[in-house]
Amino acid sequence: MAKLEPYSPTPASRAGRIVMTIMPFAIGLVCVLFSFVPIGRIFGSPLTPAFPLMAVYYWAIVRPEMFPPLAVFTVGLLFDLLSGGEIGLWAFVYVVTYAVVVTQRMLVVNAPFSAFWIGFAFAAGFAGALAWVVVSIIHGVFVPPVSVMKHMAVTVAVFPIFAMLFGRIEARVLQGG
Amino acid sequence: MEPNRTALPFREFSHRISLIFMLTLAAALLLLGRAETYVFDRARQVVTDMAAPLLEIASRPVAATRRVIERTDEYAYVFDENERLRAENARLLAWKEEALKLQAKVARYEALLNVQVDPSINYASGRVVSDSGGPFVDTVLVNVGNEQGAKSGQAVIDTDGLVGRIVSTGPQASRVLLLTDLNSRIPVVIEPAHYKAVLAGDNTDWPKLEYLAAQSAVSAGDRVVTSGDGGLIPAGLPVGLVIQTSAGDLRVQTFSDRGRLDFVRVLQYEFPSKVKRQDPPEVLEGPPAGSEAEETGDAAVPGGAQAAAVE
Repeated sequence: MAKLEPYSPTPASRAGRIVMTIMPFAIGLVCVLFSFVPIGRIFGSPLTPAFPLMAVYYWAIVRPEMFPPLAVFTVGLLFDLLSGGEIGLWAFVYVVTYAVVVTQRMLVVNAPFSAFWIGFAFAAGFAGALAWVVVSIIHGVFVPPVSVMKHMAVTVAVFPIFAMLFGRIEARVLQGG
Repeated sequence: MEPNRTALPFREFSHRISLIFMLTLAAALLLLGRAETYVFDRARQVVTDMAAPLLEIASRPVAATRRVIERTDEYAYVFDENERLRAENARLLAWKEEALKLQAKVARYEALLNVQVDPSINYASGRVVSDSGGPFVDTVLVNVGNEQGAKSGQAVIDTDGLVGRIVSTGPQASRVLLLTDLNSRIPVVIEPAHYKAVLAGDNTDWPKLEYLAAQSAVSAGDRVVTSGDGGLIPAGLPVGLVIQTSAGDLRVQTFSDRGRLDFVRVLQYEFPSKVKRQDPPEVLEGPPAGSEAEETGDAAVPGGAQAAAVE
């Protein structure tokens, strides 16, 4: 019989740790699914915010070690597979945006929420512009940029609600664990 | 916290390596995906079919909320609406008389001319369960799959008119390419004068009319219906009205409202393409090749050689 190890984690704490590791990624996946739910139909408008981008930005700033590049890539790829558009478009855009956000992380990490939000506006603008350029090159035509601008504007507008929601979940699961 | 501190540089390094790797992978995927390989299509179908039931469950409360809002709206205007409907009903009754008369007349003419009437089209009804997702694609998922008889290419309509066509199907769900998508091209005719054109989506709310003959007198307000060219989509489905933009080019305001898609029908139309090959009657056939070569003589050697080759 092995001797008792007083500091070995209990099953509950181990489960908690697994949840902590997986939770941001799971939120990313839920965000992908959520962006295909036709919420816009309630208001009679086809506009849907880029929910995965919010998750990518939030975790890249708050806890990049819990949302690794592989998770960003998977979230983007799943979005591409579900959307029926170019394969790899949003995977590419999200990974590049994530890389940019992670390098600029120190600017907003302990700043007030308004800075966090302004940072997101920049990130969304960057992601939208990048996606627009890639799509225009792929199709070989000047794709009208209005729809992507609207899409990103809606995303930035609703970001505080989701950032608050992510914050709540983080406080409950991560700090509680 | 001692172990963590020593692990930190390594962690950061591996983070960076993995970031570069994922960037390369995503860029490669973007280039490879253009090849439209079988693997991606298959993966797409599997993921779509897995997500469709989840999306269907999630879209139920959305549809219910929308119905509640619409119901409330309707209650607020119930008297006005009643009044309007009465007037419309009176107007439509007059039209109904007219339509019945015309129907009888057309049936008589068709019988006289021995016209082949289009076969009636079967359909499968379903619900739109997902939104397009992303600003560069205008596709939706419907919960009608190939188990219900949906096939790639079939037209999808709602109560207002043509919505789009199916581009891929799984067992339970299909993807519908809407008229406004960049890749959508639908052969149409513009009605009173029967001008043909191709309705081309360009990622705006109003698709363009392409390949319209230069001298065609199309004006804003003309009705656009499908032409049935190509044999994928039955002819005569209502599509929309011609509008003129401030820039002066002609576009189409579709009848179906992209923001309010709910129940749709997938038309299982089959083009009557199985026609026996028929040789031209003898009177139409030219003189035998040999005699032609003789007649033209030496001056038309290439023609003669060609005729010989054909023989």
